[in-house]
Amino acid sequence: MKNRLEALRKERGIRQEELAKALSVSRQTIGSLENGRYNPSILLAFRIARFFDLPIEEIFLYDEQEDTL
Amino acid sequence: MKTKSLGYLVAALGIVLTAVGLWLARTFPEAAGAMAALPYVLIGLGCGAFGHGVGALANAAVFRKHPDVAREKAIEEKDERNVAILNRAKAKALDRMFYVFGALMVSLALMGADIGVVLLLVAAYLFVAGCMVYYMCKYQKEM
Repeated sequence: MKNRLEALRKERGIRQEELAKALSVSRQTIGSLENGRYNPSILLAFRIARFFDLPIEEIFLYDEQEDTL
Repeated sequence: MKTKSLGYLVAALGIVLTAVGLWLARTFPEAAGAMAALPYVLIGLGCGAFGHGVGALANAAVFRKHPDVAREKAIEEKDERNVAILNRAKAKALDRMFYVFGALMVSLALMGADIGVVLLLVAAYLFVAGCMVYYMCKYQKEM
């Protein structure tokens, strides 16, 4: 799933380490999320949304083409 | 504190097991059968437990001096991606283990190994498969 995490983080001048610390996850997890290699759990997605004070769908972009179910 | 106490306990248990193993090896040098192997099993278990206990104590000492390291380690352990990776790796390893166990059982049977050994291996294989079915049923109900 695509997301705007990297853009939002850079927009606010936050380093990956700082975001990881604020969300209580590892820095590698932030890297993987930004690269789109890892999709977060719904709980982590909510924590990220709360952190940026945005709705989830403005951070994580659902693509029907990508959803192969 | 709990980790530290447990570390001391496991290390002490390791020393006791090793000492008992050494004592058995010295006192009964001509023991036969399972009794011949028991001292060395105890020494092995004792050394393992001692190492584990001392490791836990060293960790506790480092974490007490550097709480930031402790917090980082706690985050690493609970990190959902790390947990997902570990679970996926365990699942893959279990898949491989079924093949390895199966091949080992067939090989031992063809080699004419003692039927007790083959049956023990079959029991272990079925136990692991049973555990998998049990947890599948459990999680079906829970999730």
